[in-house]
Amino acid sequence: MTDVLLELSRNKLARQFMSRARLPIPMPEGLRRLPGPRVERFLEAKTVLVSGAGSLAESLSRTLSRAGAMSEVASAELAQLFAPAAEAYARPTRLLLSDESQGASEAEALLFDASVLRTPADLKLLYEFFHAHLGRLVRSGRVVILGRPPDAAQTPMAAAASAALEGFTRSLAKEIGGRGATANLVYVADGAEDRLAAVLRFLLSGASAFVTAQALRVSARAAWSAEDPWQQPLSNKVALVTGAARGIGAATARALADEGAHVVCLDRPEDDDALSHVVRDIQGSALLIDISASGAGVQIAHELEHRHGGVDIVVHNAGITRDRRLARMPESTWEQVLSVNLEALLLVTDVLLNEQTLRDHGRIVNLSSISGIAGNVGQTNYAASKAGVIGFTRALAEQLAGRAITVNAVAPGFIETRMTQAVPVLVREAGRRLSALGQGGLPEDVAQAIAFLVEPGAAGLTGQVLRVCGGALIGA
Amino acid sequence: MGLFGDKRRAVIVGGMRTPFVKSFTDLMELDTIALGVAASSALLRKLDLPRREIDAFVWGGVVLPPLSVNIGREIVLDLGLPSSVDGMTVTRACASGLQAITSAVAAIERGDVDVVVAGGSDSTSNAPIAFPSKVTRTIAPLALSGKATAQDVLGALAQLMPLSDILPRQPRVAERTTGEVMGESAERMAQRNEISRMAQDEFALRSHKRAAKAIAAGRFDDEVTKIETPTGFVHVDGLVRADTSLDKLSKLKPVFAKGGTITAGNATPLTDGAAAVVLMSEEKARALGYRPLAAFRSWSYVAVDPADQLLIGPAIAVPRALERAGMSLADIDLVDMHEAFAAQVLSVLKMLASQAFARERLGRDQAVGEIHPDKLNVYGGSIAIGHPFAATGARMVTTMANELARSQRSTALLGICAAGGLGAAAILERV
Repeated sequence: MTDVLLELSRNKLARQFMSRARLPIPMPEGLRRLPGPRVERFLEAKTVLVSGAGSLAESLSRTLSRAGAMSEVASAELAQLFAPAAEAYARPTRLLLSDESQGASEAEALLFDASVLRTPADLKLLYEFFHAHLGRLVRSGRVVILGRPPDAAQTPMAAAASAALEGFTRSLAKEIGGRGATANLVYVADGAEDRLAAVLRFLLSGASAFVTAQALRVSARAAWSAEDPWQQPLSNKVALVTGAARGIGAATARALADEGAHVVCLDRPEDDDALSHVVRDIQGSALLIDISASGAGVQIAHELEHRHGGVDIVVHNAGITRDRRLARMPESTWEQVLSVNLEALLLVTDVLLNEQTLRDHGRIVNLSSISGIAGNVGQTNYAASKAGVIGFTRALAEQLAGRAITVNAVAPGFIETRMTQAVPVLVREAGRRLSALGQGGLPEDVAQAIAFLVEPGAAGLTGQVLRVCGGALIGA
Repeated sequence: MGLFGDKRRAVIVGGMRTPFVKSFTDLMELDTIALGVAASSALLRKLDLPRREIDAFVWGGVVLPPLSVNIGREIVLDLGLPSSVDGMTVTRACASGLQAITSAVAAIERGDVDVVVAGGSDSTSNAPIAFPSKVTRTIAPLALSGKATAQDVLGALAQLMPLSDILPRQPRVAERTTGEVMGESAERMAQRNEISRMAQDEFALRSHKRAAKAIAAGRFDDEVTKIETPTGFVHVDGLVRADTSLDKLSKLKPVFAKGGTITAGNATPLTDGAAAVVLMSEEKARALGYRPLAAFRSWSYVAVDPADQLLIGPAIAVPRALERAGMSLADIDLVDMHEAFAAQVLSVLKMLASQAFARERLGRDQAVGEIHPDKLNVYGGSIAIGHPFAATGARMVTTMANELARSQRSTALLGICAAGGLGAAAILERV
């Protein structure tokens, strides 16, 4: 399970040797992850560079100043837009000099508000900013580009400029991935500006360590009470996590509990031991049910209703693989995978909605997979189930938007788990290295993405597939 | 009766303090209890208050003697008051003095008591030197067992090496959670709120000039008592510099950071002193023939993250106290703001005047408001007069209550910042 190259790269001498010897061996950078639960000023006294004076500057400045960042802004116009938040949180901005003087401090993040780009010619600003200042970005630093969605553009020209951001971001992610840094794009719909804060907190912090080269769409589709606590965002929430005994499920249960949720951990009765270990650690509740058994949905709904008065967060994580090329796949194998990964998920969700067990302002996260997006040899069953999850997520999101419930999918790439440990060594190495970050992710990385999607403040995201894949080359 | 309708109201009948002097100088021989005794006895004499009328003492202290922490009760006993007079001690960092007073007000208004002496004292000169707990834990078992052999002692001593581990620690005004000395916090606030050295020095100069003028004019004569020490009498405040100038202040070196702005001149010095006020229910005061000076209309205590802006608390406490009083800043005639550092007061004033701060941090549409220098700290503040931590609250209440009683002004606002990220505000009204 250990990634030898990643271990080696943590050794300074080995790193130097490898770079001198010019061996064709990648040296992935150890990622900087969240040191603990979310805190208010996660950017305390960190320098961030900001350019592009668009319509998102106000939202951007409030988030950055409140998070404790010291902003260096590229124009006087931007400084003026930043002034109110800078004053309120006592984080005065500085003007970013175009000709970088010697000894300019390292920057935690580079942000570009591209929401006012009108024509492809305006893209030059993007080039200029990143060309001049990318050198200041720290290891495990962050690049975030903000834009307006291309499909809402007023003119074909503006749509071109807006869509260009995606290609730019994906490429930049690949260029800086070797330093453990990430680059992501956020398309913010008109009227959803105040929903940007939670997304920025995620993308600018260690919570998004393994999320890179992604485009997130923030919209006002789902209703929202404007509730957005920065610390302990899940306090007073009841969460259900299926498949919580180990791997991503266990990490998710822990992450949600860390942010204040009471977590009901569900797994099969035969995983009693592993599950109770997790439950004890996080002072949650255990629910031993096979979700593919008949009547499982009703039983779950009953338990949640009677013991917890309902549920606010549902994470459908339980899943299995039974890989075989289609020609040789027995019918039972096909059925098992579709039954657990897709049918059970649909049935349980159906009951929770029909019985009104899932409360308004609720959150649903379904685990998909890169396989469900890209396909994989031997995984017709698995990929079908995981692609099906995406279809379900999109359709359900639309239905539940009026109740302020969001529905999203998370698609993990190569994550170091028991499941990927069983993969042949060459495939495993390819899975790790063929990505912008050049390494596999940890279950915690997926857990943090889920913890973000279920925050009250993440109301801007619904019907989306968030990839936690380290910028994997496949399926991109 | 106003806001209180038919409810009981507590009133301030009088106040008195010792001179405030630099620590390790004239008052060094008197500990915090002795200072408290001096201020209270002078006040009781001045008011000619029958001793049997006193129900309780509520006393504030920050640096408390480890073996007699309840200094409120010790002061009662040392004063020779009837043993039935209750005594308690409260501690809330630099807001301790105000806390003692508002606790007394609450007790009176609740009907628990009628007459309370409240105030606070501190003697940094007598701060206990703390041994690291490692020393205590190693030596105490030997001392307590009574059967330690020479070998045991040598063994214990060997455990206490290296020497640097066991030397007594210098008392520092440092935050326990952040390890930051208060001056460093204030220095960061100056930078973040963009408060210039010049602005700080000008503010400090005004504090000294106003305090010096007040002393020269005799304004403090019936608020400050002379105090007897083993080496003689101390009559007046020792820290006020009538002769200071912007030129002198600007020559001082920054103390807490290279290229910093905070100097010994624009920060409050370590000070010894005590202050006390007498509070009564209004009926009792009138029955005993006293003329009430002022009453509390509202107060508010708040807390912020000490790792962010340690001393910004009053910017949040002031609007809350105003709201509770049903008033706006425009209704306030006098403002007395504790001056821990000029940078801190100026940061608070800037935030009170900031619409952005009001929107983002207070959830209000409009700024709390600007405070005109003519209303603010009219007789100087802690930078000039000094700041024996827990005594400052009672000093401010005394000066403002007297001012309301004497002038045609009707309301005064108090603001205090304190260690731990605490903030306090209170509103006094003329009776």
